[in-house]
Amino acid sequence: MFPTPIAKRSRSAQLSYQAFLPLALILWLLPLLAVALFSVKPGADFANGNYWGIPSSFDLFSNYGMVFFESNMPRYLMNSLLITIPTVIGAVALSSLAGFALGIYKFRGNLLIFFMFIAGNFVPFQILMVPVRDLTISMGLYDSVMGLVLFHVAFQTGFCTLFMRNFIRALPYPLIEAARVEGVAEWRIFWYVVLPLMKPALAALAVLVFTFIWNDYFWAVVLTQGPNAQPVTAGITEFNSQFRAAYHLMSAGSIVAALPPVAMFFLMQKHFIAGLTLGAVK
Amino acid sequence: MHSILKTSFVALIAAGVATSASAEAHSTLSGTLRISSDMSNPAPRAVMEGMAAEFDEMHPDLEVELTIVDREAWKTQIRNALGANPPDVVNWYAANRMGPYVDAGLFADVTDLWEEEQFEGLASTKGAMTIDDKQWGVPYTYYQWGVYYRADIYEELGLSEPETWEEELANCQTLLDNDIKCYTIGTKFLWTAGGWFDYLNSRTHGYDFHMALARGEVEWTDDRVRETFANWRELIDMGAFIDDHQNYSWQEALPFFQNGEAAAYLMGNFAVAAFREGGLTDEQLDFYQFPKINPDVDYAEDAPTDTFHIASGAENMDAAREFLRYVTSPEVQTRINGGDALGQLPVNANAEIGDDKFLEQGFEMLSSNAEGGIMQFFDRDFPAEMASVGMEGLQEFMVFPDNLDDILNRLEDARQRIYE
Repeated sequence: MFPTPIAKRSRSAQLSYQAFLPLALILWLLPLLAVALFSVKPGADFANGNYWGIPSSFDLFSNYGMVFFESNMPRYLMNSLLITIPTVIGAVALSSLAGFALGIYKFRGNLLIFFMFIAGNFVPFQILMVPVRDLTISMGLYDSVMGLVLFHVAFQTGFCTLFMRNFIRALPYPLIEAARVEGVAEWRIFWYVVLPLMKPALAALAVLVFTFIWNDYFWAVVLTQGPNAQPVTAGITEFNSQFRAAYHLMSAGSIVAALPPVAMFFLMQKHFIAGLTLGAVK
Repeated sequence: MHSILKTSFVALIAAGVATSASAEAHSTLSGTLRISSDMSNPAPRAVMEGMAAEFDEMHPDLEVELTIVDREAWKTQIRNALGANPPDVVNWYAANRMGPYVDAGLFADVTDLWEEEQFEGLASTKGAMTIDDKQWGVPYTYYQWGVYYRADIYEELGLSEPETWEEELANCQTLLDNDIKCYTIGTKFLWTAGGWFDYLNSRTHGYDFHMALARGEVEWTDDRVRETFANWRELIDMGAFIDDHQNYSWQEALPFFQNGEAAAYLMGNFAVAAFREGGLTDEQLDFYQFPKINPDVDYAEDAPTDTFHIASGAENMDAAREFLRYVTSPEVQTRINGGDALGQLPVNANAEIGDDKFLEQGFEMLSSNAEGGIMQFFDRDFPAEMASVGMEGLQEFMVFPDNLDDILNRLEDARQRIYE
């Protein structure tokens, strides 16, 4: 088996592994630790250049209190949920349907349509910035939760369909044939035969899309402004006034904003890893 | 409680405006007043929404329709907004920044408003609102620039506020002899060097020369420009500025001032909040106007001014003009610039300012000791493209003063290309 498990390697290899692992870990986590440290410092420490030292006072409660009670953060968190959850539902629902059609039915152009879904993934979305913005403005969806949801659904469906189609393709086809022989309607086959078998894929995809959308910053900045529609990733910058950056509040806000995807990851770790590899291996 | 205060305030304002505004019966305004504002940061946003609501309440037949656009986005959107189906009133900036819109005929001429009695209080920015001898908008807020210094350090070394360049250099030498840098500055984002250039250039050759340079009418390789840089170089060669300033943002350069490693900071008044947050008291802090260099030149001051304008295609001209009277009245300017609102200076000299020694000194300085004129800051006075090339050159000069010829040739090339 490659790589050889550490437990079976030589003693010196084990020792150097044990020595370097904590080092690498600290190095890797340093930015996060810094953000966590900043989030309990008072603003004065930044004016006085005390970036890395002991906080001059422990301001965990006042900083986080500020974030939750005296800023628009709760509103931004709410927006994030309002954007993320419908997107997850919409993208997963559409892509299971599309995946079912592309995976089960043989028709002319099946492969072509499938390739179009894949090709969509190869378009770097930054180049769509201007047309998408103009489109949302002319549709009256600019600066609205609806606009972001529609756009995210449209864009995520490409990747999700690839994922779903390959998963459904891998299901034993005789199951469907058997149902057809019994005279079951096609939509009932989807609902009662295929969908229950897709549960692992649905879970994996939902977790994955949730993290993608929650962490989206680019479209949030391009398509929304202000607390009535902006999600939390973009809303954090509200702690910057016109002239000054409030590093301590931004850090506290970032920690709060990062919690849902992190919690999601730990709760659904199994599905998350499955989601990353599923569709890649066939 | 809040609504009671607000209501009584509206009544107060209404009374104030009723007496101060001209005889035009403002209560007869009707229709819709459409305002597009760039006051998108939280505090300014609240101010703008408050003003729109009040103005709406003051005029029962008038409906105020407010659109707030992100402040940065507005800088590119304004041209579109003014082009087709324009709003009645828009936010923008004073001086050269209005130039393109005035030239394109997109802003309405409000010269006759400026002849009204109330507008005499706005004299300090009249020059900044004037193009071709006409006024094109009204200011609602500005803030002063100047030298903030550590009064405790100055006192310990027996220094006093300098008024001339010689005193300035002598002060600086004393500080350096005591291992204290004269100035902290962080030029990582370039603009802070622009402030230094504004002051050095306008103190050396005056406001008119500085503006001519901003409009591209003077060559960067001109000997007069070189004189400005020669003055600057005196400070640089002394080692007056902190080392490695190109690595710091303006906030990251604060600790040198807070710790007493540097004695002064040329900065806008927004820095005071940071000084205080860092633990300096008002006894340790003070402010002086940038000293004279050429004694024959009047003081010109950096005071970036934010403004309201009427679109030339405005549909409700009467309401728009009344709104401009409203935002320039001393009562409204007093309130919107208060510490709990914008926290800046009212432009109207008859307005009152908060009990704050820096606001008081700034208000005094701008209202009565800036005969040269009000500059809008390097990146507002110069066209955007020139400002960005220019500030890069200024930063390079501060780090490598020997590159001056090279820098000036580059800026001159840029000037010839940009001002075509």
